[in-house]
Amino acid sequence: MTQSPALSGERADFPVLPRRRTSSAKRKQHRAAYLFLLPFFVVFVTMLVVPLVYAGYLSLFESKLIGGETFAGFANYARALTDPAFLGGLGRVGLFFVVQVPIMLGLALFFALALDSARARGSKAIRLFIYMPYAVPAVVATLMWGYLYGPDFGPIAQIARAVGFGTPDFLSPGSILGSMMNIVTWEFVGYNMIIMYAALRSIPAELYEAAEIDGAGQFRLAWSVKIPAIRPAIMLTVIFSIIGSFQLFAEPSLLNAIAPNAITNSFTPNYYGYNLAFINQELNYAAAIAFLLGIVIAVVSYVVQLSEERRERREMRLS
Amino acid sequence: MNKKARRTALALIGGAVSIGLLLTGCSPSSDGGSAPGAVSQDDIDTAMTTPTKLTFWTWVPDIENEVKLFEEKYPAIDVTVENVGQGLPHYQKLRSAIEAGEGAPDVAQVEYQYIPSFVLNDSLLDLTSYGADELSADYVDWAWNQVSPDAAVWAIPQDVGPMGHLYREDILAKAGITEPPATWDDYATAAKAVKDSTGSYISNLGATQAGQMIGFFWQAGVKPFGYDGKETVTIDVNSDGAKKVASYWTSLIQQDLISTDVDFQDQWYQGLANGKYAGWLTAAWGPIFLQGTAESTSGLWRAATLPQWKKGEKVSGNWGGSSDAILASSKNPIAAYELAKFINNDHESAMKLATEQFLFPPQVSVLEDPAFVDQKSEFYGGQQVNSLFADISKTVDTDFQWVPFMDYVYSTYEETIGSVIADKGDLAAALHAWQDQLVKYAKAQGFTVK
Amino acid sequence: MTSLDTRSIVTTGGDATPRRKGRRFAPERRRSLLLTVLLWLCVLYFVLPLWWLFVSATKNNAALFSTFGLWFGGDFALWQNLHSLFTVRDGIFLQWMVNTLFYSVTAALGATLLATMAGYAFAKYDFPGKKVLFSATLGAVMIPLTALALPTYLLFSKAGLTDTPWAVIIPSLVSPFGVYLMRVYAADAIDDSLLEAARVDGAGEFRIFRQVGLRLLGPGLVTVFLFSLVATWNNYFLPLIMLNSSDLYPITVGLAQLQSAASAGGGSQALFSTVITGSFVSILPLVIAFLFLQRYWQSGLASGGVKG
Repeated sequence: MTQSPALSGERADFPVLPRRRTSSAKRKQHRAAYLFLLPFFVVFVTMLVVPLVYAGYLSLFESKLIGGETFAGFANYARALTDPAFLGGLGRVGLFFVVQVPIMLGLALFFALALDSARARGSKAIRLFIYMPYAVPAVVATLMWGYLYGPDFGPIAQIARAVGFGTPDFLSPGSILGSMMNIVTWEFVGYNMIIMYAALRSIPAELYEAAEIDGAGQFRLAWSVKIPAIRPAIMLTVIFSIIGSFQLFAEPSLLNAIAPNAITNSFTPNYYGYNLAFINQELNYAAAIAFLLGIVIAVVSYVVQLSEERRERREMRLS
Repeated sequence: MNKKARRTALALIGGAVSIGLLLTGCSPSSDGGSAPGAVSQDDIDTAMTTPTKLTFWTWVPDIENEVKLFEEKYPAIDVTVENVGQGLPHYQKLRSAIEAGEGAPDVAQVEYQYIPSFVLNDSLLDLTSYGADELSADYVDWAWNQVSPDAAVWAIPQDVGPMGHLYREDILAKAGITEPPATWDDYATAAKAVKDSTGSYISNLGATQAGQMIGFFWQAGVKPFGYDGKETVTIDVNSDGAKKVASYWTSLIQQDLISTDVDFQDQWYQGLANGKYAGWLTAAWGPIFLQGTAESTSGLWRAATLPQWKKGEKVSGNWGGSSDAILASSKNPIAAYELAKFINNDHESAMKLATEQFLFPPQVSVLEDPAFVDQKSEFYGGQQVNSLFADISKTVDTDFQWVPFMDYVYSTYEETIGSVIADKGDLAAALHAWQDQLVKYAKAQGFTVK
Repeated sequence: MTSLDTRSIVTTGGDATPRRKGRRFAPERRRSLLLTVLLWLCVLYFVLPLWWLFVSATKNNAALFSTFGLWFGGDFALWQNLHSLFTVRDGIFLQWMVNTLFYSVTAALGATLLATMAGYAFAKYDFPGKKVLFSATLGAVMIPLTALALPTYLLFSKAGLTDTPWAVIIPSLVSPFGVYLMRVYAADAIDDSLLEAARVDGAGEFRIFRQVGLRLLGPGLVTVFLFSLVATWNNYFLPLIMLNSSDLYPITVGLAQLQSAASAGGGSQALFSTVITGSFVSILPLVIAFLFLQRYWQSGLASGGVKG
């Protein structure tokens, strides 16, 4: 461009004018978009990003009760990668994820499909009852299940004894993980069910009509129409479950009061990080653990999504 | 935006800015410990008549009653009592507030074993210049040594837990035992008799209760911990003495003569009430506690001294008890000190603590007050339980010490010993694992380990 | 920071026939007895613990540990329990209820507003940095905040916010899930041509948002509001570390404290029966809210929130 815009002359400008108008309108829209985002991001940055950055900074230091803080580079991260407590906790939540999440989401999907098929009596009430535990805070849920699990006065043990099964020990080191899975399942089946059910209700009618012409039965319908159609919603619940299980904290920390010899301090990585910060007073190391855990969660989520996408593509090719 | 919200927004920006300060490692540190010349009576009079607000963190129920007495005496002082949690959560909050340099109370309840951890980072005020050293004669020696291991005085003792033996006379009688076991050998024999003839356990060893085990160590003359107040700690949890105690309990556990339920749990409460346990080796705060827990067994219980390692000896250990310390960050140290002193030293207030909140007193004047020691307890068949524990208190070893990271010590006890107790394994062997973890941690934290 | 890539969630949904039809596929409604029985048996699993809680709230401390857990036993002590619950420590329980209500309603209103504006912007505008900002929003969810509690506390303390209601409310204003929901919802519920038409009429962007956007986003707003409400209502950890004054506690922290006081026993402390009654009372408001608002949950989610 050699000519300055001002010199190009008004008349010659005619065809350019609309474009200019668009770009100034675009600018206005950009500005509006940023303004809409501003309040959220102000809070987001101050409440989330700043503590994160600060913690990231802290994770690069080493602090001792005697001698204070010194720069340590990635020493805390290196330590975590060989720390049996951290890795053990990671393995435990990994197991939790592999076992509990399929059960919970499977149940949620089953309930959602069953209710959507409208073949059960009182489905409105059923939906509400299954959803109800979501209204119960983890504090109360754990406290309640703690009583229910009790070997002497818990109703489960009372019934088991009455029918001659002996006293099941839900709070022993060997069974506590299973007991915890049960609590989380109880709390969140309804929540996941509602997300899936909502997705099912919004499947466009055309999809069904095609299947109806085929004369598909309920199971075929569920398998080849409904589930594929709500795959994004299922994926969303999977991602939330990944985050939920790898970040398990409230349940172990509350169960620790009831079963201190079954819940170790590093039972889950998140609980370990908390104990490191507050009991061992190793704040810097705790920050490193938190970041590593965040990375693990991101990687697992990414891998799960990737494999899902790949499967979808494969299926598309096949059909 | 209303005014308040605007202030908050400003505060947030301020927060973001101050991160810079934090990042440069510039955190406000208070220099506690240094004693600036003695405080005169004039200073005290001025402080106590100037309108002042104090904050007092404690989990003693209804301590407001004693605080009220203080406020009546010093109307200018306004005390806010906060219960921020019991035990661990309390210390976590205290540490967070100290670390943040803001929000810490003026006076805080601190159990004896945690005092060194707050001394370590200069969080407590040395009370000598406020006249606390003159109080030493008012307390039993071993309790005073807990708050004043050297020249400094870090807190005012509030209550203590010299250990004794509470037992069901009726259950032991059924097993043919009419006298409380005098030695630990007798106790083991009695345990077998009780189990065989009644099915009850003679008592329960809290699976994760480090305090109880350390109390047994204390009685046996074991000195597992030491701290010089600076950078050197002693850790010796696997000494021969400690192993002797641990082996003793291992043997009882492996013969199934003692239960290992987690204590302070509904299950355990019921065990005390329904005769699953025929006794409880506990501290001086135990008798009243038990009374509230096992009401239905009133009159069946008796109190005695702990069984001894050597026949004819009379020694005990301590489990629990608290002191009230003044934070170095307090802006009103004189008033804060006077509050801690009043609550725990004024005879009326100390008597109230002992007879209404049932905290077992370290104050000599209360321990000698007939209104306290001559009390007869129906629950214990008319026995003078306070008098018994007052005598026991005189037999507690005087120089038991701690390390400045007892939270970690207790939490690793749960991990290393607690799990072995649950599996009925060898406790003496587990002591080595505990020792290793503690030494490793202490070294990593920069301490010199002796 | 690796970020949560949600494209697959968002776009594949959009690719499928995006327009919903008013009518729905309605096969002849044949009831299945087997399914009915099966489902109601499953319902037992979800309801029995709550039934236990209710039954236990009617027992005194002794009956709690001596009668069968799933049926009434001993004296009917509900009224005594309620009385001691609302009088323990000078009736602080009521204060905790009020606090919880205040925190969660305030936080949910704020979070909904912020999430709606942000979600609308993400859905309806193209601007530089959009992708990065959206990824950051979702990626931040992956870092566990519990282990970062102390850094957060220290920063809050610098700002003088600890031990104030703000320490609980302000962090709860950030709802990445809410932004996500509103983005998907707005993309679906607001037709671009409506916005263009409004622009041609000369309406400013904010007026368009207020008059066109907000009106169409109604059910989505309720959904995000309810999710945020439950999240704040059930939050335990944040208030636990931020608050020191028991007057400011929400019910979750208060109950946990009552429970630990009950375990520690002692003369004038709370009993287990009080804690259980407290737990029962504490879940009533949300359960009732669920009863009355359940159609909003579903409609908000269904009409676009997480549509398939």
